Amino acid sequence: MNAVAFRLTAVTAALSGLLSVVAPAHGADTGGTLLEFSEVERAMILSHGPWPPPLKPDPSNRVSGNAEAAALGQRLFFDARLSADGRVACVSCHAPPALFADRRKTSTGLSAVDRNAPSLVNARFSRWFGWDGGSDSLWAHSLRPLTDPREHGITLDTLAALLAADPELACRYSKVFGRSAASVSVDTAAADAAKALAAFQETLVSIPTRFDAFRSALARGESAATASYPANAQRGLRLFVGKGNCGTCHVGPLFSNREFADTGIPFFLGPGKVDPGRHGGINRVTRDPFNQLGAYNDDPVRAPGTATRHVDLQQKNFGEWKVPSLRNVALTAPYMHNGSIATLREVVRHYSELDEERLHTDGEKILKPLRLTDGEISDVVAFLETLSSPPPGLMIEMLPTARAREPCVEAAPSRARGR
Amino acid sequence: MNRTALLAALWGCTGMGAIACELPGDGHRLSSRDGAVVLSFRPDPGGFAVDRQFSLIVHACSRTPVTTLSVDAHMPEHRHAMNYKASVTPTAPGVWRADGLLLHMPGKWEFIFAARIDGVTERLTHVVRVQ
Repeated sequence: MNAVAFRLTAVTAALSGLLSVVAPAHGADTGGTLLEFSEVERAMILSHGPWPPPLKPDPSNRVSGNAEAAALGQRLFFDARLSADGRVACVSCHAPPALFADRRKTSTGLSAVDRNAPSLVNARFSRWFGWDGGSDSLWAHSLRPLTDPREHGITLDTLAALLAADPELACRYSKVFGRSAASVSVDTAAADAAKALAAFQETLVSIPTRFDAFRSALARGESAATASYPANAQRGLRLFVGKGNCGTCHVGPLFSNREFADTGIPFFLGPGKVDPGRHGGINRVTRDPFNQLGAYNDDPVRAPGTATRHVDLQQKNFGEWKVPSLRNVALTAPYMHNGSIATLREVVRHYSELDEERLHTDGEKILKPLRLTDGEISDVVAFLETLSSPPPGLMIEMLPTARAREPCVEAAPSRARGR
Repeated sequence: MNRTALLAALWGCTGMGAIACELPGDGHRLSSRDGAVVLSFRPDPGGFAVDRQFSLIVHACSRTPVTTLSVDAHMPEHRHAMNYKASVTPTAPGVWRADGLLLHMPGKWEFIFAARIDGVTERLTHVVRVQ
């Protein structure tokens, strides 16, 4: 499986290229002075760190944080046999050089889909998964594209059969789960595969950015270090936490409140056809047999199911989409759930010139046109560009690439908790 | 003093008689307009924060028992409620636990407690500012 031999150097090279593209536009404004941030501004700035947050295992996934499981997950991630025509793998739309996205407006698996492929980097920190939040765990969400007829188009039976029949996968499955895939139900084997895929994706955590260095220096009161943060980025940051009111939704170290919002992006797909967004996502997740309230949640008390148990379906959810993290946002164009905005500058301009007619009349009264000047837009973009992780981009020591590449050696069944 | 006989004092002032009920001293307190019911509530885990699931522990003192209690929260300036519907369960006489709350934005949130008492629903509100 040559895809597994993917090297992080490819990611590094790709990110280096992207950074060199985005850096010169504002690179000349190298700072040297620190703006006089108010106490309120400082508190808001400090609330965006530290990064990364604690890497807690997912209690609903008993192999979360397990390196062998991550290696199996990496194998599956790059395996095109997980598709009806043998040509589509997870990596097809979540490619390492594109920060585990695909840089396309909307993605194409077996056929075209309606949404932009989000980056999987830092996905582990989400509460809801997918643009509509149609899944409540990283592992449950990993099953969704596999069975979508437009994406991978396979059945869970196909997945379970592959895990049982392929010697390499069967060996790895046995090592991770302490049994053979053939000895459990199709749904159990599929959930296990999904949990291994999630264990791999959990390793995709970005490294601290130039903003993080600035924030840490600000927290420590190191004026020389803070002053080296570009002046235009400082001005953009001030707009972000102030006039822009961006921190209403883009909160915390992840720069996302992990919820959903209507930002005036059309959700009509064509005549008589709409993408319902969060409304459809809530309907999907509450009916999903693999959700956190179901039998495949490994947490005995179902604690991770609290959000799913209490999520409230509302009319306003139509046309709401997940508030994305802004980490590495400069590297993940195009933007919005349908990839309809090509550049970061255009995204900021969208909020500056917001068409309020496109917002729900009965919805939230939060967004108003910001009426930013061109210079202010450039400053906000300069700030957002400092949220990009420098090469190598990811916390590479966590990636199990080498382990995934080595052939599996059969071992006695482990003591992984059975179902 | 961890506990305060708040209602006893209140009812003493209004001449309506004594109440055999105490409220914890460490919670946020609020009273219905006619003093028919007084609540104390605290978040669990402690403190209010954006983007964090939490519960509320609610104590109620009233002339006659509160039969049902519901809890909600909204942002009046934003015109939206939570994205979650809290579930409220009694844990002891006069004590409830509301689970599943999440404040998804910083700013001014108003908690709304609807207490059913003597066939009438008393609506009590309390504002917190979340950063």
